[in-house]
Amino acid sequence: MEQLILASGACDPAAEIICKPENVNELFEFTTPLFSIGPFDFTRTVILTFLAMFVVLAILYFGLRKPRVVPSKFGVMVESAVGFVRDDVAKGVIGPEGATYTPYLLAMFMFLLIANLFEVTPGINFPITARMAIPLFLSLMTWVIFVFLGFAKNGFRYVGDIVWPKSVPIGLRWLVGLIEFVSTFFLRPLTLAVRLFANMVAGHLMLTLLLVSGWVFMSSVGDIGVRSIIGVPWFAFGLGIFLFEIVVAVLQAYIFTLLSAVYIQSSIHPMH
Amino acid sequence: MTLEAADALKGAIALVGYGLAAVGPGIGIGIVVGNAIQAMARQPEAANMARTTMFLGIAFTEALALIGFVLFFIA
Amino acid sequence: MLTLLANSLVLAQEVPAAEEPEGIDLLIPQTSELIAGILAFAIIFFFVWKWVLPAVNRTLEARREAITGQVTEAEKTREEAEKLLADYRKQIADARSEANAIVDDAKATAEGVKSDIVAKAQAEAQGITRKAREEAAAEMERATASVRSEIGSLSVELAQKATAGAMDASAHRALVEQFLEELDGMR
Repeated sequence: MEQLILASGACDPAAEIICKPENVNELFEFTTPLFSIGPFDFTRTVILTFLAMFVVLAILYFGLRKPRVVPSKFGVMVESAVGFVRDDVAKGVIGPEGATYTPYLLAMFMFLLIANLFEVTPGINFPITARMAIPLFLSLMTWVIFVFLGFAKNGFRYVGDIVWPKSVPIGLRWLVGLIEFVSTFFLRPLTLAVRLFANMVAGHLMLTLLLVSGWVFMSSVGDIGVRSIIGVPWFAFGLGIFLFEIVVAVLQAYIFTLLSAVYIQSSIHPMH
Repeated sequence: MTLEAADALKGAIALVGYGLAAVGPGIGIGIVVGNAIQAMARQPEAANMARTTMFLGIAFTEALALIGFVLFFIA
Repeated sequence: MLTLLANSLVLAQEVPAAEEPEGIDLLIPQTSELIAGILAFAIIFFFVWKWVLPAVNRTLEARREAITGQVTEAEKTREEAEKLLADYRKQIADARSEANAIVDDAKATAEGVKSDIVAKAQAEAQGITRKAREEAAAEMERATASVRSEIGSLSVELAQKATAGAMDASAHRALVEQFLEELDGMR
């Protein structure tokens, strides 16, 4: 909340043209580094990224510190998250050999979950996945893994099956093959990254608009008089969206992990 | 229409483009989820599989809307 | 008021058009953020790979061991209890048979005592009877002996009388009758 209000600090609802930052990117880019080590800039996003990392490490460490027969409530939560990724996502989607990919999927899920939940964490209120770096990196990782696996398990038949699918009538085969080729090798990583990114951007934008504008309106009763009532429904709606965004944050982390697993699975067992 | 005017309208046109791009996937996702819910209601024991397939279908259907989103930023 | 709303709403969407190069900037990751993301993910990945999953497996292993341990312990306890129960049963059976033996013994003893008493009583009774009979017999013998001596003395007396008086027929007859009366009176 604090940061959101800071972002609109220049706002003056009493003026004619109001609350319009010079650029929407101001809500997402914190380009001025807080400090730098050599060429490496520690911007707010960078620091939040490392904070997310420490939070993930702490959750996993304190949840699983000692092998206890009867775990604590927190331990049960962490264990169920680990079990969910391992059993439902890795083994459930990929199959018995999915256990190999559990570390990757689990690390991805936990990292994205915490990064997304930063959106609705009071005091932080910024999903670091609303910057393209992490979604793009993870989707490219998945892309590298599934392309590599496709070639490793099927040889060049992998590409052959995609561009010349045998199950399609011969007249349409080139068209379906082209679509499949583009879809598999270009759209998959792009949509994987953009889906998460776009959801987080939209969520952050909505929360910023509704909560900050509502708050600014409500708190400027003296300047604009009755018009400040506009702020109340905005703020209330913003609180509703706030709850919705919690669901979205968890769901997007799950979908990203699930789709990574599905893409890996489709390279191990290509559909004929 | 002058070049400047066209330039000024560019963002608005991109916005309309994104809106158009979102229509198809919107309908498609509706169909996917609706059928997935039907499948889950008919065979609750296969709900897990239906859910996974539903997300997969949504992911494929959503691709166009996401491309529209990217193009909106690029335009 | 409407302009107010409109202007606020524009906040999000108008800008990419106004400043053209800014829009795509959102889609291109900043170098430092990318490096930070890669670094953070790599650390998490290695932590998960080297520590978390082994820890989870260790936990599961510990849980499995604990459960099997509990099960075997329960089995052991059950066996012990069964052994104990069998012991008790045996002891009870032993005690019962012992009690039976005691009762039998007592019965036998009582039987022996009873027959002893009866035999003694019978013997006593017989002794009493025999004694009584012997006494009676002795009495009779003594009586007979005394009658015999009486008869002798009487006979002598009679003979003396007979010889002393005149022995006529009537006197004789009176003498005999007197003798018989005397005899009767003795009886």
